[in-house]
Amino acid sequence: MTDKAEIAALVDQDGGHISRRIYTDPAVFESEMEGLFRRAWSFLAHESEVPEPGDYVERQLAGEPVLVIRGKDGVVRAFLNSCRHRGMRLCRADRGNASFLRCPYHGWSYSSEGDLVSVFAEELYDADHLDKSQLGLIRVTQVESYRGFIFGCWSEETPALSDYLGNMRFYLDILVGRTPGGVEVMGPPQCWEVHTNWKFATDNFTGDNFHLYTAHGSVAELGMLPPDPMSLSFGNLVQANRGHVLHIVPGPPIPEAEYFGIPEALRPMVEQTLTPAQLEIAKGHAFSVGTVFPNLSFMQVMVQGDLNSPPTPFLSFRVWQPTGPTSTKVWSWLVVEKEASEEYRKATYEAYVRTFGPSGIFEQDDMENWEECTRVNRGAVAQRYNLHHGMALHVPVDPDFAGPGKAWPGSYGERTQLCFYGEWKRWLTEEEPWT
Amino acid sequence: MNRSVPVGAADYNRVLEWLYREAALLDRGDFEGWLALMAPDISYEMPTRQSVYQKDGDGHASHFGFFAENHSSLETRVKRLQTDQAWAEQPGSRTRHFVSNLLLEKAEDGEFHATLSFMVTRIRSDLPYDLFTGERRDVLRADGEGFQLVKRTILFDQTVLKSYNLSIFL
Repeated sequence: MTDKAEIAALVDQDGGHISRRIYTDPAVFESEMEGLFRRAWSFLAHESEVPEPGDYVERQLAGEPVLVIRGKDGVVRAFLNSCRHRGMRLCRADRGNASFLRCPYHGWSYSSEGDLVSVFAEELYDADHLDKSQLGLIRVTQVESYRGFIFGCWSEETPALSDYLGNMRFYLDILVGRTPGGVEVMGPPQCWEVHTNWKFATDNFTGDNFHLYTAHGSVAELGMLPPDPMSLSFGNLVQANRGHVLHIVPGPPIPEAEYFGIPEALRPMVEQTLTPAQLEIAKGHAFSVGTVFPNLSFMQVMVQGDLNSPPTPFLSFRVWQPTGPTSTKVWSWLVVEKEASEEYRKATYEAYVRTFGPSGIFEQDDMENWEECTRVNRGAVAQRYNLHHGMALHVPVDPDFAGPGKAWPGSYGERTQLCFYGEWKRWLTEEEPWT
Repeated sequence: MNRSVPVGAADYNRVLEWLYREAALLDRGDFEGWLALMAPDISYEMPTRQSVYQKDGDGHASHFGFFAENHSSLETRVKRLQTDQAWAEQPGSRTRHFVSNLLLEKAEDGEFHATLSFMVTRIRSDLPYDLFTGERRDVLRADGEGFQLVKRTILFDQTVLKSYNLSIFL
């Protein structure tokens, strides 16, 4: 653990200066695991990944394997994926279906609700040395779902998920609750490893809209972005509350770009489902990228999958799973409205996979940047000099913005990054950062 | 019914030589030359994979992956590589495409169905090797003396891509 005052000095969110150490230092990473990831709510899985009783997926929560499993009663629970006997990783597949979970080592067996139901050679134990009722799987301390998104938390003290999300629910509803059925995953997550700190990726997804024309200069050169580099600078940067941030950006002034460009057939549903304030935002915008603190990001964008395809929307969710000070496992899910047609599903998938994810013609360049930044930021000399987060900090709050929280006009700026880092600092230095 | 083409048969040798020439184009960075080998109706796919118990199959996703390409999207990727700002390939990767274990069948419509093992190494900057291995299922259509690639399915061995991006062709 690093001294709290030392950590506090690494982030100057008012001045816009961030120490490079927060992306590289093993001691800072340990402080994050303890102060942040073992206390904050983290996204585990979407309910549509485990639709049937017995369906499970394995995920990571603060670096430890967690089994997310739907019980015979239909309830989704989450447990440490570890047998109570020797700690064996109980379930060893990424996904599957099981009515019972039998440990491969000595055969202790658990129900899909996590109860220990049988032990090998049970008759050889003295009764007072085997209380099966006390040896069920270790439950994730808090598990809650918001619009099908299942979150877990290792701390009892952390407020309930709905309080934790706060105003962010308003914006999440616009993305994942805009039709009666909500969204479902379109497949398993893409997973890949990047030699960077998880915050480098998150920083990019807290509303960095101004990297587009340089980091993605290749696709701008191909004409897949509007020619004027300032043409995506409109819209707002939004701090929903605390570290939950996003940008919301209008597309070209054509009906096709309203409601993030989703198909005509879905729009009447959106109009009936969202509140007037949410509708105003949904109607006027085509892009929104943001982060549910600390490491669940989303991107709702309209993009051409190739030079001959029309701009097509997709909605992807990301977990930037910290695996070390300079290593991150990325999980990327593509989601779609349950009511979506087969034709739209194909189009949104192709638009996504051709442009984002590790093979996408946009995103492959992002990882190049994050890895190179990370390698250089390790340097002792480099660390004498802070990084610069100072764009558009003078802009006053937009009083006319329809949504809750604070919104600043213009989507090119670093205000939302600083909101993220300010919240990060609270979780690493305060006893009750949520108060 | 597909008919097996034995190792060493004239068609087998022709397909194998085509595979070697394709690999050479990629390793030399001649992406336009490579694109010229793609049929107008090319389908180029790479499903994601998960680690699953054997009763649940081989873990390849049925409709989700890392590539879902047609001719236009492959052409877009090639054109992107020709810009000066495709940072993932500027400076360029050094790749080696190895193909082996070719099993070949000829379909009734005359197309060749190749199943092979691939190993691709990639080095960027002074970083360690990235290693990409798996099975490839290629469908080739006769095109004059050579072939055009009609379909490629890349069945990857990794469930988590151990490389920070996939900016190359497999």
